[in-house]
Amino acid sequence: MQTSKITVGMVLRHALMLLVLMIFLFPIYWMLVTSFKPAQEVLTRPPTFVFEPTFDNYRYAFEQADFTLFIRNTVVIAGLSTLLVISFGSLASYSFARYNPGDGHILFFILTTRMMPGIAVVMPFFLIFRDLGKTTFGQLFALGLDQIGALVVAYTVFNLPFAIWLMYSFFQDIPTELEHSARLDGYNRLQVFLRVVLPLAAPGIAVTAIFSLMFAWNEFLFGYILTRDAARTITVGVSGFQTQQGILWGPLAAAAVVCILPMLGVALVLQRYMVRGLTFGAVRG
Amino acid sequence: MLELRAVTKKYGHKTALNALSLDIQPAEFVVIFGPAGAGKSTTLNLIAGITDPTSGEIMLNGHPMNRVAPENRNMSMVFENYALYSHLSVFENLAFPLRARGMGTPEVKQKVAEIATILQITPFLERKPGFLSGGQRQRVALGRALVRDADVYLLDEPISHLDAKLRHRMRGELKALCQRKEAIVVHVTHDYREAMSLSHRMVVINKGHLMQFGTPDEIYHTPANEFVASFVGEPPMSFIDTRYAQYQGRVALLVSGTETQPVHLPVNGQAAEFLGRAQPKTLRVGVRASDISIERSASAKHDIPAEVYVVETLGHRDIITVKIGAHLVKVVAAPGMNLHVKDTVWVNIGPETYHLFGDEKAIAHPTGKRKPAPVAAPEGV
Repeated sequence: MQTSKITVGMVLRHALMLLVLMIFLFPIYWMLVTSFKPAQEVLTRPPTFVFEPTFDNYRYAFEQADFTLFIRNTVVIAGLSTLLVISFGSLASYSFARYNPGDGHILFFILTTRMMPGIAVVMPFFLIFRDLGKTTFGQLFALGLDQIGALVVAYTVFNLPFAIWLMYSFFQDIPTELEHSARLDGYNRLQVFLRVVLPLAAPGIAVTAIFSLMFAWNEFLFGYILTRDAARTITVGVSGFQTQQGILWGPLAAAAVVCILPMLGVALVLQRYMVRGLTFGAVRG
Repeated sequence: MLELRAVTKKYGHKTALNALSLDIQPAEFVVIFGPAGAGKSTTLNLIAGITDPTSGEIMLNGHPMNRVAPENRNMSMVFENYALYSHLSVFENLAFPLRARGMGTPEVKQKVAEIATILQITPFLERKPGFLSGGQRQRVALGRALVRDADVYLLDEPISHLDAKLRHRMRGELKALCQRKEAIVVHVTHDYREAMSLSHRMVVINKGHLMQFGTPDEIYHTPANEFVASFVGEPPMSFIDTRYAQYQGRVALLVSGTETQPVHLPVNGQAAEFLGRAQPKTLRVGVRASDISIERSASAKHDIPAEVYVVETLGHRDIITVKIGAHLVKVVAAPGMNLHVKDTVWVNIGPETYHLFGDEKAIAHPTGKRKPAPVAAPEGV
């Protein structure tokens, strides 16, 4: 029988959960608080919890540091690279799931490209884009240093293997009979892919898109090395508040809040969808 | 006309289908019948173009089909696991093949409404397949295949997941529906009643080999071999191992394992002549449960002693399994005989009921039942 009695164990468990929650959420809370603090109160000891909130830091970030441009750059780069990742990734992973070219060797080779850290390839990337930017092709697609195209390509290259592996399992879970059935219903291969396979793989594609978007949004290293001003991304923008005169904590916190808000929103809205999508491949029924 | 010419399908070293040749006439309803793993679905997939034959040719109305893509064959198929498009409503599932042909919305609506009425799925048209029961899904799958006019309809166990009552009704509906279509129907099933009641002709296959291709009558009354004989019919045919013998100066069959107290099965007519001439070492006698009878006491007709082994009560009749020597033989008996295990009964197995099999192949079948058997070596036993 169920009782509503509060036991010592329950109290302890909740206390522990509260403690862990506080440890994890405190930095975010402090960032939020700092972003609204007047400059003179940011570094006071002991720290102040009660103060008169101000928007000065936000004003500084957007007016002095050109955060509007950084956000615009990041939206364009993350959006475009995600679009490319999904377009190429879905076709590639579908092929692997259905035709298995290379008997799994090519698929494994694709994964191995993710086994080296970004820092190992950042210099080669730098040299490639420096030279590519001087060519007509590179200029046409903005593939030079400090140009948006270069980052779009870099993020696509980096995200594609992961996306292929993630979507591969989703495509594998779609029964082949559905495709056979659609063929017999009178549709050709491409029509079957677009009308049957893609809609059925939608949860998987959504999850992959979210991951790709988050990676591109949060990426720092490539953005830092491959851009200077015009193509600067939001994470690089945040780090820009570490100046030679010192760290501008207030504007930095304000910029960081602006930086995490969109992805936090995406994560909250799509949380249930994402969990369902990630387990979709494992348990079907 | 749909023709299969020595169609073989191999998966690696495994042969799924071995040189199958069939000629299916226009508007013919053919049932492919066999146990699991016989190659039934493989045959359908080959006709549909889902898989390519390793060798052999598939012809439709005189045109070779081997290189024609599935979407251009004008065939329609029901898959065993339904293969419904789970992202589309039932209506859209049914409309899917119609839209592929560029049919206008009013016509699509009309066609979908028609088929939905026949299959009694009108109340679910707006639902997604995930919210339907197994039987409802199967009807939607059937509807999607039958909603359009195709040259060939391929049905892979289309009503096997329905409950008994609905299956019975759907069997009739399916036959009527396909008759109206005047197209070739190739239907796969492992249910012999379904096979017998639906088909114009039946294809019996086992382990990728064609066992027999004929009308339900031929299959039932003149099975080509022991496999067909044992697989068609409920309860299945019983087999008795015998040896050629002389008994009271006449040709007879000695039941194997009864040498101490010999049990002879009589033989008459041409079969006796044939056996006397050929004197085969072993012979198996096949008898259908409905063709033989038992009594509690011996008589001139009921002269073979047997022991009751199992009693199955079905209400309108009982199925009694009796032991003749070491052989189990099933007999249909009227209820009320009040038999118990180990009771002694007397069996009447007349020579007019024998199916004789030697080396797996049929040698003779009972005459006078239906058409004469094309495989029978001597006519009449």
